[in-house]
Amino acid sequence: MTASLVETGTTPHRGSAPMGRLLGAEMRWVLRRPRTLVMLGLFALVPILIAIGVVVADRGGNGLIGAIAGNGLVLPVVAMTLMLALLLPLAVGMAAADAIAGEAAHGTLRGLLLAPVGRGRLVVMKAFGVLVVTVVATLVVAVVGVVAGLVVVGGADGTLVTLSGTTLGFGEAMGRVGIAALWTVGQLAAVGAIALAISAFTEHPLVVLASVLGGLIVFGVLGAIPALDWLAPYLLTTGFSAGADVLRDPMSWGDIGGSTLRALCYIAIGGGITTSRMLTRDA
Amino acid sequence: MTAPAGQSAAAGERGAAGAAAAAPPAAAVRGVRKVFGKTVAVDGIDLEVPSGAVLGMLGPNGSGKTTLIRMLLGLTRPTEGSAELLGHPVPDATEQALPHVGALVEGPGFHPFLSGRENLRRVAATEPLLASAQIGDAVGTALERVGLSDAADRRFRGYSLGMKQRLGLAAALLVPRKLVVLDEPTNGLDPAGTRDVRRIVAELHAGGATVLVSSHLLAEVEATCTHVAVLQTGTLVAAGELSVLLEAGTGGLVVSTPDVDLALEALRGVGATAFAEGDGVVVADGGPPTPEVVALLVRAGVAVYEARRRRARLEELFARLTGEET
Repeated sequence: MTASLVETGTTPHRGSAPMGRLLGAEMRWVLRRPRTLVMLGLFALVPILIAIGVVVADRGGNGLIGAIAGNGLVLPVVAMTLMLALLLPLAVGMAAADAIAGEAAHGTLRGLLLAPVGRGRLVVMKAFGVLVVTVVATLVVAVVGVVAGLVVVGGADGTLVTLSGTTLGFGEAMGRVGIAALWTVGQLAAVGAIALAISAFTEHPLVVLASVLGGLIVFGVLGAIPALDWLAPYLLTTGFSAGADVLRDPMSWGDIGGSTLRALCYIAIGGGITTSRMLTRDA
Repeated sequence: MTAPAGQSAAAGERGAAGAAAAAPPAAAVRGVRKVFGKTVAVDGIDLEVPSGAVLGMLGPNGSGKTTLIRMLLGLTRPTEGSAELLGHPVPDATEQALPHVGALVEGPGFHPFLSGRENLRRVAATEPLLASAQIGDAVGTALERVGLSDAADRRFRGYSLGMKQRLGLAAALLVPRKLVVLDEPTNGLDPAGTRDVRRIVAELHAGGATVLVSSHLLAEVEATCTHVAVLQTGTLVAAGELSVLLEAGTGGLVVSTPDVDLALEALRGVGATAFAEGDGVVVADGGPPTPEVVALLVRAGVAVYEARRRRARLEELFARLTGEET
């Protein structure tokens, strides 16, 4: 052990630990955090509760929830769309809050900078951790949604009746759910990027959470004021309803593509701010 | 009784420092100044930490010790001045030096929901000089070194202050270091823990590493350090080898004897300046050399129990430098 330590010690320019190892450590840290696990558990309950509610009510209401009755595979898409309004962004905001502000509050950010994890690599590592939470939370909702849809709601023999009235086979229905999940991850990643940027400026995780929730509410209000409709194309929340478009046949890509493009812009802005701040942040 | 040991230790320190003088400093700050708002935390300090030295940084609370360390490690940018770590300019090339630097700054920072071992594994994963296959061994060794093996698998949340401090120390010692920076390492430690820190610092010193310790425990610094830097309100009031600083100002040879009058008479007979003090006499510097003084006294029939150089205690020095009452 000593010999190899000396060997690596004399290797020049081994300035940082391997990236894969850093990402692995970050993923373990994120997924071992009790609050992440509790949150994922609660998220798993949401599609089940919707399923039970639909079955108990036993009448075709209107809107998306109504479309679930007797048509179980619609459930995952509806659950993701509903939770995108508040719950999923909350989870992402929490992950981003812990990622930088939380580490600073615990005094562990200092340790990471002193190791050293390069400041640029630190941003990559932290963004990856937030993305892991985003993907896992979305997958939990999607997978539990599919299972609850088939088991609790059932109907349509494993097929999906679209909003347009056509019927899709199980394989294609899964493809549609997958597209909705991927699109949801994209929207959440935009929230995460902005939350991470805020996280880079503070050592109080609550500030990040409050900003994410406050931001979503303000965006929602701004989007609802007719005189401000020129603002709509710039608001992330404008595209949050596009997920239901995967339930149409043929699928309409316009809103899904547009909102994804908007999300990418937010990700670029958030990533840029986070990086420039972390390059000079005191710890 | 303790005199010969003390003197030989002092001589050893001088030898080590002399050999190190040729090497570039392990760390250095030049004219650094740090202003937070209207508060001047560090006001123009020049300091070099000689390679291989154990430098104790002393100062009252709020004297700028931690800020100086943070600037040295690139955690915060100096308002003015420059710093250097293992020959690399800070903060521009800090990342080249940091793999060889272990640090415990501003208390141990860990995650409460992970055990001590898991916390260390996470730190180890970020250590550039640690190969992935060695992480388990390195973590185990570090835990053993700080005496935490038994509590390693308990959650950090339940650790006592002293155990937290030990874990922080373990993180700084995960890989062999060229420079170890310990900010108040004995904070919250019991006497056994304090002894452990002393042993660890001695081991690092023996292994050729440079150690920078900030502390308010003067006895600790006196026991473990070769060099001292004293800070007050953001300025450096004294810096140098501990033995030199301690000997400057005071001096003389203390002779323990019951035959005080006889001794004084014999000494004054050869023109030496001497006076009674405590259980013996003190012979001022400038007279005959020590062996001659002792021989003279013995020939005069004086019972000599002990003869030693008088050195100021660090506590007195510190009080004199910072103008505080002892």
